[in-house]
Amino acid sequence: MRSNTVGWLLLAPTLVILGLFGIMPFIYVLYVAFHQWNPFGFSPDMIYNGAKNFRRLVFDREFLLSLWVTLKFAFFAVTSEIALGYLLAQLFTREFPGKAFFRTIHTLPLIVAPIVVGSVWRLMTTPSIGIIPYYLDAWFGYELNIGRDAGAAFALTVIMDIWHWTPLVTLTLLAALVSLPKEPFEQAQIDGASKFQIFWHITLPMIRPAILATVFIRLMDALRTVDEVWMLTGGGPGAATRYVGLHIWKVVFPKTDYGYGSAISVIVLYLTLVMCWILYVALVAPRDRKKRTS
Amino acid sequence: MRRAVAVSLAALAAGLMGSMAPARADFWSDAGAKFQGVTLHGVTESTPPSNYIKDVLAPEFEKKTGIKVEIETTSWDQMYDKAIKDMEAKTGIYDMVYIEQDIIYAYLSRNFLVDVTKTLKDDPSLKAPDFDESHFTTFANYFKDDNGNLFGVPMEAFIKIYLYRTDLFNDPAVKEAFKTETGKDLAPAKTHEDYTQIAEFFTKWGKDKGEQLWGTTAQAHTGHPASWYEFFESVAPTFGVYNWGIDTSKNYAASVANGGSMNSDKSKAALKYWLHLRDIAPPESAASTWTEVATTFAAGRAAQGLVYGENAAWIASDSEKSKVVGKVGVALPPVEPGVMEEVEAGKGYIGYYDGGAFGLPVTSKNKEAALLFLQYIGQDSVQSGWAVAAPRITNTATYEDPGVKDMDAKLGGYYTMLKDDGKLFAGAPPYPFHAQVREATASIFYRILTGEVGPDEGLDQMAAAAEEELTNLGYRK
Amino acid sequence: MPTERPYLAILLWSILSIATLFPVYWLFVISVKPAVDLFTTPSVILDSVYWKNYADVLGNETLRRYMMNSIIISTGNAFLVTTLGFMACYALSRFDIAGKENIFFWTITNRMAPAAVFLLPFFLLFTQVFAIGDWKLYDTRIGMILLYCTFNLPFAIWTLRPTIDGIPKELDEAATVDGCSTWQVISQVIFPLARPGLAVTLILTWVFAWNEFLLAATLTSFNARTITTGLSEYVTSTGTEWGTMAAIAIITLIPALIIFSVVQRHIVAGLTFGAVKE
Repeated sequence: MRSNTVGWLLLAPTLVILGLFGIMPFIYVLYVAFHQWNPFGFSPDMIYNGAKNFRRLVFDREFLLSLWVTLKFAFFAVTSEIALGYLLAQLFTREFPGKAFFRTIHTLPLIVAPIVVGSVWRLMTTPSIGIIPYYLDAWFGYELNIGRDAGAAFALTVIMDIWHWTPLVTLTLLAALVSLPKEPFEQAQIDGASKFQIFWHITLPMIRPAILATVFIRLMDALRTVDEVWMLTGGGPGAATRYVGLHIWKVVFPKTDYGYGSAISVIVLYLTLVMCWILYVALVAPRDRKKRTS
Repeated sequence: MRRAVAVSLAALAAGLMGSMAPARADFWSDAGAKFQGVTLHGVTESTPPSNYIKDVLAPEFEKKTGIKVEIETTSWDQMYDKAIKDMEAKTGIYDMVYIEQDIIYAYLSRNFLVDVTKTLKDDPSLKAPDFDESHFTTFANYFKDDNGNLFGVPMEAFIKIYLYRTDLFNDPAVKEAFKTETGKDLAPAKTHEDYTQIAEFFTKWGKDKGEQLWGTTAQAHTGHPASWYEFFESVAPTFGVYNWGIDTSKNYAASVANGGSMNSDKSKAALKYWLHLRDIAPPESAASTWTEVATTFAAGRAAQGLVYGENAAWIASDSEKSKVVGKVGVALPPVEPGVMEEVEAGKGYIGYYDGGAFGLPVTSKNKEAALLFLQYIGQDSVQSGWAVAAPRITNTATYEDPGVKDMDAKLGGYYTMLKDDGKLFAGAPPYPFHAQVREATASIFYRILTGEVGPDEGLDQMAAAAEEELTNLGYRK
Repeated sequence: MPTERPYLAILLWSILSIATLFPVYWLFVISVKPAVDLFTTPSVILDSVYWKNYADVLGNETLRRYMMNSIIISTGNAFLVTTLGFMACYALSRFDIAGKENIFFWTITNRMAPAAVFLLPFFLLFTQVFAIGDWKLYDTRIGMILLYCTFNLPFAIWTLRPTIDGIPKELDEAATVDGCSTWQVISQVIFPLARPGLAVTLILTWVFAWNEFLLAATLTSFNARTITTGLSEYVTSTGTEWGTMAAIAIITLIPALIIFSVVQRHIVAGLTFGAVKE
């Protein structure tokens, strides 16, 4: 191994920037989380109240409900995006006429800002006026009303997310697939392996790190979705799509409950971290162990 | 001789004008001279009245005083958040902030704002000759403290009114059908019973005829505070439930048990009345905020409805946005028997008087210069142009302007109503905890709207939640 | 590897493209309709085109400035995080750094934070800590470029790590033996091989920065405002100006599309000479 100083130097700018813009604000939020602080409370000052905020959220029905719908949302959205994105990336590794054109179209949703995505989907789905409810009613006699039907509103936020973010998965997995060395595949074909065998024993293990990275990114982003859902449903009907990012938004913006909002954020951050850590250990660690023993 | 007199008179007149005109112009350039190089920063919502400040008044002011003004226009929630963060952290980014009528009490409770009246009294050199606080409409009272001192210069004001379609209400065929069906003459409703009957009639009419027409609008979004506001600001008061049913004198009680009225029988009756209207309103109502309600009405999809006055203007006059231009009538919202008497006796109100002012944060680093600008936009002389460009009235001098009168006719007498009946309407209750209590109860309200909770037990839960939040905030002991 | 059945692929992609394009098409439809026509019975076919929304947007000097800010901030940030991420991944992959797996995992935690609460500390940092005299990081382009590192740098590190790890160590060891410096190894051996991954990282971090709304809305006000925050000005209590908003959104697609087509070529390039040849 070469000099570690060079390694640390290469890493230094990243550590400095994330330290200044990542750790410093986090410490502040952690500090606030142990205080009662609402600038428009009877006493507007920050008052230390120990772990009271954390005790409060364990019994906070609204928060727990929002956490639950967020997990459901993230599960449906991310699994569909990964499956679909992988298939599409595979299709893009082949040659067919008009490939570049289709690839450009496929990436279009990515460049539409989330608040615009939310707005367009809202206009498309406004009950009785939007084009989707209109044709659903005309063709199938199904009345889509996202202001009334909690299940439909939830499904719609998932579909919108899939529409918006599958291209990201396609792109990252495509980049991973095209950088794979060709020899193992050629060798496998010579050995007469089936398509599924190639996928299961060669492709999947080789692109597992890329899949994992993509799952992480999508999972984290899905857990903190705000803009699109805010524009589409505002969290309704009732609390059906009040995802945790939106819930926190409502606690710290209109309610200005900085203390409690910080506590919720710390917990959400912690839960995300634990989930990702479990995933990481489950998927990465066995590979590392194998490497070390071999 | 005559000629000489004429000439000398003309000379005198010219001399007078010459000496007067600079005197008037002088105040602004003299006052501005001290602040050369200063740039004022303001933040406001990007509504037409604010855009008029940004695009017309600010450049005018700059020309006269040499003081540069930059106005940041942004969305409603962003504007609050930015102003509050700036004032809370004392960073002094903004010299002027937009104060919506419902947040002034929160700002005053934190001493965020400069006392305009007092500052001008203490330093008369800053006082503009054309600025007179007494010219503002009664709406300015919402921006005063107990001593009557002004903390913001009112810049927009609207009432939430009852709009109806004159073309439908005056259509002989419709009138006759209504008469046969109900035995009554079709006219804008005065009571809730009438209103319901008319709404039911038109919804049925639309269905029978296969038209896209319903009897009423409903601002009934199931995830946005707009629905909460429609109930507590516009519907509950007409049933005699004021100030959201919270009684500050009784230890901030909300529930009937403790002396409040949020879950009173009147309140429950109001909610059921409104839920019924929501059910016969166009299907988009369950996803409608104030924006969509206005659009629904403008698209000709509703025969009547409660609509914020700021939208009344474009609905009635802008053919690029509205299909019902020239077909809009305005009336006072329908009320429960007895409520109008209560209101006239000064005990309540029948709807929402909304709007905002421009105020000066104590954290501003250019207070004197900002005060000049605030007076500039409060003068009588700038009001009429502003009122025509962005329909709103905050200064009594505006009503008599020919341009405004002209518009009043187009809007079916909306301005006359604002002038004569504005006193029947009221702003939000003077709570420094406005948004906090709203959010604490709104989620239960949304559940009532989706049917997860019944209206009666829902209001009981809301009253309990309001009291709990007030205890958390430290107001309720 | 040509597909055995190209027509099937084309058919499949055509269907998918319609599904993908429809909302974007609808955005366009909204942008060329007067407000009065939006809330009537919808029709998929456009019968008339109303250009006033575009005239309004293109004639607006402020919006042009916002657009410029967006381009500078996203491009600056994308290049910064891709470069730093590339360096960091190389370090993590090739050097024996104590606790490197923990460092690697920690980087991603910076992306997990729910933004709303963090606005307050960011605001305080930008107005009071990173301030010298009258100058503040608040409302500056450089401030936004640095700030966006908090969510883009973790992304860059996580998407680049598999790419860099996938490049056989023997290649740079051989180059070192041949007398190349670390810098030469990175620029001449690793960089060409990592191009598809770098291109994807560049595109996606650019997109994240381009689309970001909440942080920009809070931490900029006059000078560094971006076009996404400009969009929110059209959602007001007197009505959402859907048409204008849609027109801006359509116009903002153009620079994004240009960046995409330029950078995508590098992903394709990966296909032809990115794979390791021995």
